[in-house]
Amino acid sequence: MEEYPEELRTPPVTLISIVGCPELHTPISKHLHSEQPPINTLALPDFTKISVFSKPESDNPSPSPPIGILKRDWLSKHRTKIPSVLAALFSHSQLSSDPAAWLQVCSHIDQIKAVLRPRNLKLLVVVVLSDSNEDVSEDRMLALRKRADLDSKYVVVFNQNEYSQSLQRLGSVLAELANLYYRDEGRRIKLRIEKKTFSSPEFRRDWGEALRFYDEAYHILRQMIGTSKRLPAIQRLVEIKIVAEQLNFKISTLLLHAGKVAEAVTWFRQHNASYRRLVGAPEAIFLHWEWLSRQFLVFAELLDKSSAVIKNISSLVLATGEKTLTEWESRPAYYYQLAAQYLEEKRSSFEIALSMSETANEIDNSAESVVPSTYVGQFARLLEQGDTFVMQPLTDEEYIRFAVAEGKRFQDSFEIIALLKKSYESYSNLKVQRMASLCGFHMAREHYAVGEFNNAKPLFEGIANLYRQEGWVTLLWEVLGYLQECARKHGAVKDFIEYSLEMAALPASSGTDTQSFRFKDCGPAGPASLAQREVIHKEVLVLVSGESGLASVENSTNLKITGDNPLHLEIDLVSPLRSVLLASVAFHEQIIKPNSSTLITLSLLSQLPLTVEIDQLEVQFNQSDCNFIIMNAQSSPLASMVDDKQGRRVETSPSLTLSTNRWLRLTYDIKSDQSGKLECTSVIAKMGPHFTICCRAESPASMDDLPIWKFEDRVESSPTKDPALAFTGQKAAQVEEPDPQVDLNLGASGPAFVGESFIVPVTVISTGHAVYAGELKINLVDVRGGGLFSPRETESLSMDSHHVELLGISGPEGEDETQLGTDEIKKIQKSFGLVSVPFLKCGESWSCKLEIKWHRPKPVMLYVSLGYSPHSNESTAQKVNVHKSLQIEGKTAVEFSHQIMLPFRRDPLLLSRIKSVPDPDQPASLPLSEKSVLIVSVKNSAEVPLRLLSMSLEVDNEGIEGSCSMQHEHETLLDPALLVPGEKFKKVFTVISEANSSKLRLGTVCVRWRRDSVNEEQSGSTIVSVLTTQTLPDVNVELPPLVVSLDCPPYAILGDPFTFLVKIQNQTQLLQEVKFSLADAQSFVLSGSHNDTVFVLPKSEYILNYKLVPLASGIQQLPRFTLTSERYSAGFQPSVTASTIFVFPSKPHFKVADVEDKRKESIVAE
Amino acid sequence: MIVCVAVVGHQNNPLYIQSFTEADDALKLHHIVHCSLDVVDERVNNPKNLDQLSMRHFWVFFIPLKITKYGYLTNTKVKFILVTTDLDFFRRFHAAYVDAVSNPFHVPGKKITSKTFAERVSTIVKSFGLSSAG
Repeated sequence: MEEYPEELRTPPVTLISIVGCPELHTPISKHLHSEQPPINTLALPDFTKISVFSKPESDNPSPSPPIGILKRDWLSKHRTKIPSVLAALFSHSQLSSDPAAWLQVCSHIDQIKAVLRPRNLKLLVVVVLSDSNEDVSEDRMLALRKRADLDSKYVVVFNQNEYSQSLQRLGSVLAELANLYYRDEGRRIKLRIEKKTFSSPEFRRDWGEALRFYDEAYHILRQMIGTSKRLPAIQRLVEIKIVAEQLNFKISTLLLHAGKVAEAVTWFRQHNASYRRLVGAPEAIFLHWEWLSRQFLVFAELLDKSSAVIKNISSLVLATGEKTLTEWESRPAYYYQLAAQYLEEKRSSFEIALSMSETANEIDNSAESVVPSTYVGQFARLLEQGDTFVMQPLTDEEYIRFAVAEGKRFQDSFEIIALLKKSYESYSNLKVQRMASLCGFHMAREHYAVGEFNNAKPLFEGIANLYRQEGWVTLLWEVLGYLQECARKHGAVKDFIEYSLEMAALPASSGTDTQSFRFKDCGPAGPASLAQREVIHKEVLVLVSGESGLASVENSTNLKITGDNPLHLEIDLVSPLRSVLLASVAFHEQIIKPNSSTLITLSLLSQLPLTVEIDQLEVQFNQSDCNFIIMNAQSSPLASMVDDKQGRRVETSPSLTLSTNRWLRLTYDIKSDQSGKLECTSVIAKMGPHFTICCRAESPASMDDLPIWKFEDRVESSPTKDPALAFTGQKAAQVEEPDPQVDLNLGASGPAFVGESFIVPVTVISTGHAVYAGELKINLVDVRGGGLFSPRETESLSMDSHHVELLGISGPEGEDETQLGTDEIKKIQKSFGLVSVPFLKCGESWSCKLEIKWHRPKPVMLYVSLGYSPHSNESTAQKVNVHKSLQIEGKTAVEFSHQIMLPFRRDPLLLSRIKSVPDPDQPASLPLSEKSVLIVSVKNSAEVPLRLLSMSLEVDNEGIEGSCSMQHEHETLLDPALLVPGEKFKKVFTVISEANSSKLRLGTVCVRWRRDSVNEEQSGSTIVSVLTTQTLPDVNVELPPLVVSLDCPPYAILGDPFTFLVKIQNQTQLLQEVKFSLADAQSFVLSGSHNDTVFVLPKSEYILNYKLVPLASGIQQLPRFTLTSERYSAGFQPSVTASTIFVFPSKPHFKVADVEDKRKESIVAE
Repeated sequence: MIVCVAVVGHQNNPLYIQSFTEADDALKLHHIVHCSLDVVDERVNNPKNLDQLSMRHFWVFFIPLKITKYGYLTNTKVKFILVTTDLDFFRRFHAAYVDAVSNPFHVPGKKITSKTFAERVSTIVKSFGLSSAG
């Protein structure tokens, strides 16, 4: 674009000229330039200089038709030389002073008029006033106007006092005049048939009209192609094309400037369509292509520029005209690409032209003098004739010579690469990857052609990736062909072999496709065909055999595989070389016992066209001990000796030959003595003395398709004979642990009891293995699972969160703690323990004891696992584990119950008891200041006999006087009570509550007990007694208003009368009305009142006196006494036991001693 | 005149390419067909254009080599690309393709190697060559 003259590239600018009053020139021209749009000013120092605008005389008399279409300097002339308006400035002094000055002015005006008329330029007369009181008389102004032959508005007064206003006025008048001029001029030019072209409207900033003018000119030019006979054919076409090019450029610029992208594209399409076929003479074809390429390049650059302004091209509606536009056509990339393409065409036709012109040397001297002539697109020879130069027209032949000589100076390749690069980048930015890769391919090919392999290689590789991905074999083949050649020329053996192998393994094949591969210009690898693949494969085989280098290569010394220069290829899971060699490995069993052998199938597949002979295969595992080598029996046996010294297993196979698309299946034994994962990592194939391919092993179950072959319609067979194995086979297997030969015993006996330290003996007995670095892990787990040791369900009484706790692990008997090494581990947590086991020889045993305490009754699972290694040297690698578990029931050993009894034959009226519905939750009530009896019983709920050591009531409250018989406790200690399962032990306490508090704490019962084990002495361990406690529930204490006590002798004798007293005690301050009755009893004769209502005075006692005579012997019911309190409307009766008496038939004879003491003694009941 | 006919699979892999030119420019045609997938992609991926894109859609676009390419998308995302003058071609070509892939021995997504298909395509192309010439 830069080669165009400036006036073509930029919008035109109006030009005016000013003369006279030179001191004002600078401000005026500055002001005009800053106008929008700007006006350029040509300032003339004095009136003598105006002759520069006069038209040259020579043109006028010759009416002969012009010899060209468009003069080269036409547009620039109007921009820089010929103004549209001439402004003549006259000062006040020139006009109003002496007649001589006026005459001078008149002569200036005449002179100006004479110059301007032939060019039809406009005139503006400006009268400059330097002072406000200056004035020019009306007569003078009129005379001036007449002299200048001007309309009154074109005589302007420029008052220097109103400077800025005057400037503006001047500016607007000038712009108006300029418009007038260009319109007239445009009209005038339009009349000329051939030169109907250029664009005064454009000077007038009327772009729409300008466009129309250009369009019209363009079409007239188009018609001229066939008609004009003025120049020799080739040059005529060149001229027309160049003019058309400029017109096209103008039109495109204007359209794009106006933002009409769609129209510009359509226009360009028309332009392209009109001229594309105007190829011209065969020897000048390259000129056509060059021209066409330039059209595209320029349009691309224009688009590029304008698309920076118009961001959103895609939103434009591109559907105009009869054919829909695609979005590609609004992208510069498209045009750059085509420019490059046409430049390639140009280059090839130029080469033909160059070869045709045999006299290439001769033209040089004659071409030197050829220069562009005055008309656009014409060339002429400049001849020196004395002092002057004469333009002489050229013949076509001369012109071609000139053009060829010019063309030789250009390096088309670099130009093409630059164009393609622009297109490539542009397409890449648009994420149009296939077009981009086509550009990249052409670019790389150019680089390749000029020998820039380093630039070409990355481009080719990027493109090859795309083709690989989408499976375009033919295209890939071509790209790889270039890459292969690059590698060959670089001497990169590895690259060369890789590309060659990939090409040889491509599915470029036989069949229907072959006929289409008659490429005119296929790459260095030739057409993609089976035969060509075989050629490449053979070439690789020769190279790999190491016998000779590649003879066909110039610097063959580089391309050789020798002992100093071995070659090792890696094929991973994503490598394109997978189709060269694919290794699938399947274990026949997923789980293997250590040291027992299983089968492994190794399958190899190649898509190379010829059969491949493998000398040696090495199979590698993650356990390097398992690696083995398969030798080809047919190849020389020398290799086996080399490898033997490394101690690897060597197998021999009768044949290791890979033929196209057929699996080579090999099955071998495999054995591992190491537990864990055994995985086949890779298979290394050795072909020839110095060439190896390392192929990553793949599981048949999860094997991907071959990258490009998956699109081929080929016979697919499974890698293993067994189809099930082909579906499920894995390249890895699990090797189990060796069986443990150590016994682990948990010797627990019976259930555990809450509170005791339960001992679980653990014994480790080695039965076959020595135990090295043994570790015993202990775990306590809730049988029901979850939430066992969390305190969630427990009440607040439990301080520790664990209901079952591992207290400790004690070593075997007599073991000194210091003997344990410092590195011995012993870790104990509440539910987890870890202890190390010392070294045990075969047959030895070791034991320890676990001490577990239950805080709550709960079944618990005890897991004990022993990990050890049977060999001292590999203590970390090989661990054998033994697991044992035991469920232990945790139970409560003793159950408590208690009972509160009131004193015998003494019944207080407790108001809380007389409620109609007794509340079970209500705590028991005790009468105040009465002597109550508390009986606490302990029941053995365990399954083993227990021995009770002591029992006591611990009172933690001051308000109660527990008169416990403390003196009896040591008695129990001395002779511990044996409780068989289910047996109860009772102890009686006396409680007298004296505090007046409603609530009373009875205290905590503490029972100390131990297991009554027969063999406790021989087991050696002292069984520690266990203290079990239980807090008794609270009781209410209340003051009974009435207390009824029955007073009668302990026994009666038949027929012997005795006194029966009923005492009603009023403990209140109130008078109590009491109704009582005494029922008759069969066994007694009774004297006294049966029923009555009496008043008991406050704080006093009322005594009812009866005399009874027993009539029957044995246990007899006394007459039932019933009392009803009027005040509390409550009646009560002494209990049946209280009103029972034993009647002896005659007076008994027994010694009565210490009766009082015995009654208080704790007894063992039942 | 029809220059080249191609079937392209849904992974943009070539299933069938046949050129009908006398000149040896098959490789160029491969490039052209491959590049035209960009246009297809652009149409398919652009949601704005997708609402106009019914099951079958036609594209007309320029390519530098004096030829017009047409694309055609089946509802299994198999693309037909060729250079022709009549869109009716596609209907017949689609029918031929459907018959070819209906062959129980054909694995969908693999190259079409059927000779019958090749013959039918040739016949269709020839008939169009004749009708447009005549």
